[in-house]
Amino acid sequence: MSKQPARRNLTLTIDGRQVTVPEGTLVVEAARQAGFNIPVYCYHPKMDPAGLCRICLVEIEKIPKLQIACNTQVADGMVVHTMSPRVAEGRRGVLEFLLLNHPLDCPICDKGGECDLQDFTMSYGPGASRLTEPKLHKPKAVDLGPTIVLDEERCILCRRCTRFDDEIAQERNLVVNERGHHSLIATADGSDYRSYFSGNTTEICPVGALTSKAYRFRSRPWDLSHADSVCTQCSVGCNYRIDSRFGRIMRTFTRENTAVDDGWICDRGRYTFNYLYEPSRLRQPLIKRDGEHQPATFDEAIAIAAERLRTAARKGSVGIIGGGRLSDEEAFALQQFAREVLGTDNIDHRVGLQKYASPSRHEARLEDIDDASLIVIFGAITPEQAPILDLRLRRAVARRHAKLLFVGPYKPDLPVPCRHVEYTPGAIAELMEQLADVVHHGREERGEGFVAEIAQELADAERIIAVHNGRDPGAIEALEKLMDRLHDYDHPVGILVVGATGNARGAEAAGCVPNLGPGYAELGRSGMTAAEMFAAAADGKLDALYIAGANPALTFPDGELVRRALQRVPFLAVADQVLTETAAYADVVLAAASFAEKSGHVTNLEGRQQAFAQAIEPPVHVGSDLRILAAFAQTLGKEWAIPDDADALFAQLRHVQRAARPRSPKDPLPRPRVDETSLSSADQVDATHQRFTIIPVPRLYAGGGASAHDPGIAAMRPAPFATFHPDDAARIGVVHGDMVRLQGRGGSIDVEVHVGPQAPTGVALVLADMPQAPVNRLLDASGFGSATAIKVRSVAAAPPETIEVTA
Amino acid sequence: MARFEPVLLRGIGQLDLTDIENYKQLGGFAALEKALREMTPEAVQGEVSASNLRGRGGAGFPTGKKWSFLPKDGRPRYLVCNCDEAEPGTFKDHLLLEQAPFQIIEGLLISAYAINAAQIFMYIRGEFLEGFRIFKRALDAARLQGYLGKRILGTDFSMDIVVHRGAGAYICGEETAMLESIEGKRGEPRLKPPFPANAGLYGMPTVVNNVETVSCVPHIIERGAQWFASIGPEKCPGPKIISVSGHVVRPGNYEVPMGIPARELIEEYAGGLFPGRRLKAIQPGGGSSAAIFEEDLDTGIDFDSLAAKRTMLGSGGFVVMDDTTCMVRASQTLTRFFEHESCGQCTPCREGGQWVARMVSRLEAGEGNESDLRVLSTINDTITGTNLCPLGDSIMPFLSSVLRRFPEEFADHVREAGCPFRVGVAASMAS
Repeated sequence: MSKQPARRNLTLTIDGRQVTVPEGTLVVEAARQAGFNIPVYCYHPKMDPAGLCRICLVEIEKIPKLQIACNTQVADGMVVHTMSPRVAEGRRGVLEFLLLNHPLDCPICDKGGECDLQDFTMSYGPGASRLTEPKLHKPKAVDLGPTIVLDEERCILCRRCTRFDDEIAQERNLVVNERGHHSLIATADGSDYRSYFSGNTTEICPVGALTSKAYRFRSRPWDLSHADSVCTQCSVGCNYRIDSRFGRIMRTFTRENTAVDDGWICDRGRYTFNYLYEPSRLRQPLIKRDGEHQPATFDEAIAIAAERLRTAARKGSVGIIGGGRLSDEEAFALQQFAREVLGTDNIDHRVGLQKYASPSRHEARLEDIDDASLIVIFGAITPEQAPILDLRLRRAVARRHAKLLFVGPYKPDLPVPCRHVEYTPGAIAELMEQLADVVHHGREERGEGFVAEIAQELADAERIIAVHNGRDPGAIEALEKLMDRLHDYDHPVGILVVGATGNARGAEAAGCVPNLGPGYAELGRSGMTAAEMFAAAADGKLDALYIAGANPALTFPDGELVRRALQRVPFLAVADQVLTETAAYADVVLAAASFAEKSGHVTNLEGRQQAFAQAIEPPVHVGSDLRILAAFAQTLGKEWAIPDDADALFAQLRHVQRAARPRSPKDPLPRPRVDETSLSSADQVDATHQRFTIIPVPRLYAGGGASAHDPGIAAMRPAPFATFHPDDAARIGVVHGDMVRLQGRGGSIDVEVHVGPQAPTGVALVLADMPQAPVNRLLDASGFGSATAIKVRSVAAAPPETIEVTA
Repeated sequence: MARFEPVLLRGIGQLDLTDIENYKQLGGFAALEKALREMTPEAVQGEVSASNLRGRGGAGFPTGKKWSFLPKDGRPRYLVCNCDEAEPGTFKDHLLLEQAPFQIIEGLLISAYAINAAQIFMYIRGEFLEGFRIFKRALDAARLQGYLGKRILGTDFSMDIVVHRGAGAYICGEETAMLESIEGKRGEPRLKPPFPANAGLYGMPTVVNNVETVSCVPHIIERGAQWFASIGPEKCPGPKIISVSGHVVRPGNYEVPMGIPARELIEEYAGGLFPGRRLKAIQPGGGSSAAIFEEDLDTGIDFDSLAAKRTMLGSGGFVVMDDTTCMVRASQTLTRFFEHESCGQCTPCREGGQWVARMVSRLEAGEGNESDLRVLSTINDTITGTNLCPLGDSIMPFLSSVLRRFPEEFADHVREAGCPFRVGVAASMAS
């Protein structure tokens, strides 16, 4: 995609050194490029200049007053002094003011050692304060919300946090209350500061005012060891650093990769690590004896599982599921395990509704969002499934006035304006085809109506980015055809697919699908998909299943089928970090290492392969999936297939991936096979006014794995809920806070009632992936379902009551 | 000496000028008719430029020049009228709002016509409740008679005025804080650049003019730029309302020609000092201005003459203090005001202002020390000129000027551990 025209270069002198920078550059940035660090507090390169703290004062020749470097643009021939006596005097004055009422509690402050107030005071500040009266006091240890504690006395009111919440998150929740030196950081309405991005404020806070509950009083920065890692909680692949002390993770910290995360991480990524230290973390393998899991050694577990898998494999009756939560190397090892060790093509990473994890053509980069004039989202709920990608969308819409079009069955909560095109999953394909048709026939014949209107928007857009969730193969094919059309008309277009799991795309590219080998190599044959394996197992036609880093019991759409399959399959081995519902069914459970406990690569949703380093050692009986798979290969006499060496595997994988075919409309990437049962169709549900169509909705903190066992996440985790349209709620006599039982094809779940206009009438939007209320009890294999709502408890009434509302 | 024939205050006190008929009887709306029917917007703008009218809000920026900065890029332009008068010692806009609302409306309409504005916003200080009611009634009356709304006076010119009330913050008188306030945000000054002419209200090109400034406009159009420019000094001509307060016999608003000597204002207009008192200090331009003293009484009251005396005309709040006034006490009152009104964005204003106010209060309470005097005499350099708006620069001028002039008075407060004037006050109250 094209870039903006190049700006004129200007030359200025900073402290006697000539610097040439583009027009419009701020003096503070020009100085940085010249190697001079001008101290800043309120200035942050990702945000608009605010000019508040006044610490960045510099002397510019021919201007009588000192100027702030953070809001002064360079001019040709400008002569700047950043270390003159006048500048030093100005800085000393500002620091004296900032320290007047500062508590100087550095010895117990979490920021001590990485605090800009400490550092600049040492470099530029006065030695002692001239204040002779008692310091003014402000509230300390203010509980700002589930993640943050605020010390108002340490706060220097630089407002980076409130500006982050306004400019970057666009949520406008954090504000300054009161005025002058009484100013306080608070939320606008006094409620908790809840944001998926709250942790970033603790990082950009230049002092120890905002501290994260997860890290408070736990370490000093100089005691931490650092490992450069990549977050795997979703498919964006934000870069972060894992800080550990004595082999235990203390915190995570952004590690800016402008192209991926722009320097931010979300709270799920930031705070999901304490589950590693919970009793529920699997610290050694388990073997089911007499219906109960008993601890076992690694070798024991491997030996038993290897034998059972080999026996099943000899009959061609084995299946391998997983890959989406493994590293690229491990996903490659998993497919090696299936194809080379066990000799089966029954391998699939797809244990949810997602079918494709990459576009077959028109591949986009995350950065392309920055240039897009129209962003079309099909079904993906980006704030919940890819929060940092969503920040980019917010910026594009709020700051550059890009248009946002959301096509899906309901309108998600977005802080930026968005046009909602209500379409059920099955009907989206039809819409795409209509659009392609209208675009194809040219501007004159676009005619009137809703489709024409959207087609017009597409035709008018200069750059179009489509974001979808890879679920509906028909719709995706139609979308790609539409993009072909727009591409033919010289519109730059691009497609991003939000992965269902952190490394869905890596698993797909490593060959964890039944018909494609590593690097999308077409095999000309196909094993069973995950859905087919579950169907076979449920029918007693599959002898063994190996599941690595996946929890289909919770995530597979047809909960009834998958639970029957897991129960019925004669041998089930599961490798995971915690005892998930799926692992609970297993005959052998292998304790798997977390991402912090191993190294390797992961591929994010745009296809970027990123390396991550090991931060800590796993517990003794815990092995990485690679170690587990290598041990299987060795036990089964095929150690050549899976060397216990991530580097060697990566080299092999790279070799085959380089052969991956180019992605152009004429030569699209081959697709993973999709089984017939999971193809969606719009008219499958025949909802009557007594029953509700069930649409599962994702939430960032839902899930059955790490997040379900992490105490740091617990306060943010929503309780299971279903959102009803106000008319529906009134009709069935429920109010916000009531409990209803949703009775569907595979059982029932109890959920709290939410009422909101975003729910279409006749629809219940049900929180997905909650172990205590799995929505997949209500769904079929294609993700459709309906349920009867029965009120089980009233929010107001004291005694529990059961009222039948259905006829 | 002959009194100056009032222009802006003409009729006030004799006629009820909140009645549109009375205003018209005095010739009201004739300028609007003339502008709309006989002049192009460019001609109106040219006339105002030629009059050398300088903004009466405080900065004294040439109004015609300000108007000319608006970019011609097709974006809608807004005219905002600043009626958030809250400067200590200034009460002229208050009077104009309550007694001559149609003069403001007429001035706004002509100005809006001149700059081709899309909309006028009238920002009225929250405390001016009566003025707000009067102005709203005036708007209704003007609308009924076709001076406001669609096709004013049957011409192609349509215009309306949106009234926005402040909520009690001094800082909202700063033009960009005012724009934030109108937009519904926290009233805090914006970082400049960009300036309002380029990105003002709702990001659009915007002119902010003071009430007295726009009140001058109808007279310039009616009587010509020549006439206006002939009043007072060449570079800052025109009539000027000065709000005289403090130790004078007749405090009040006086309309004088620019450049009138301070002595004449006090003696001829305000009735002089109380018998037996001596002049000690004058704040010629509201609470933000540095003091002038006895020897400066022949200084002309206009932007340039006062600037030459290192003070300013500001908004024309002329506060007279005689020899019964404690300079520490006066400084305390003012520094506390600015401490209280600081928006809190900039460090020097927020922290420095608070520190200075505490030190001065302590001195006045008799708890000050030598160190305070040293800090107060040097802190000006780190507070003044280092903030993003003028509020921070308003904290120190008066204090610095009287500390320079009366150092012994400050030292006495330390040495005697109390305010020497308090004794006098107590004694006079007892007698």
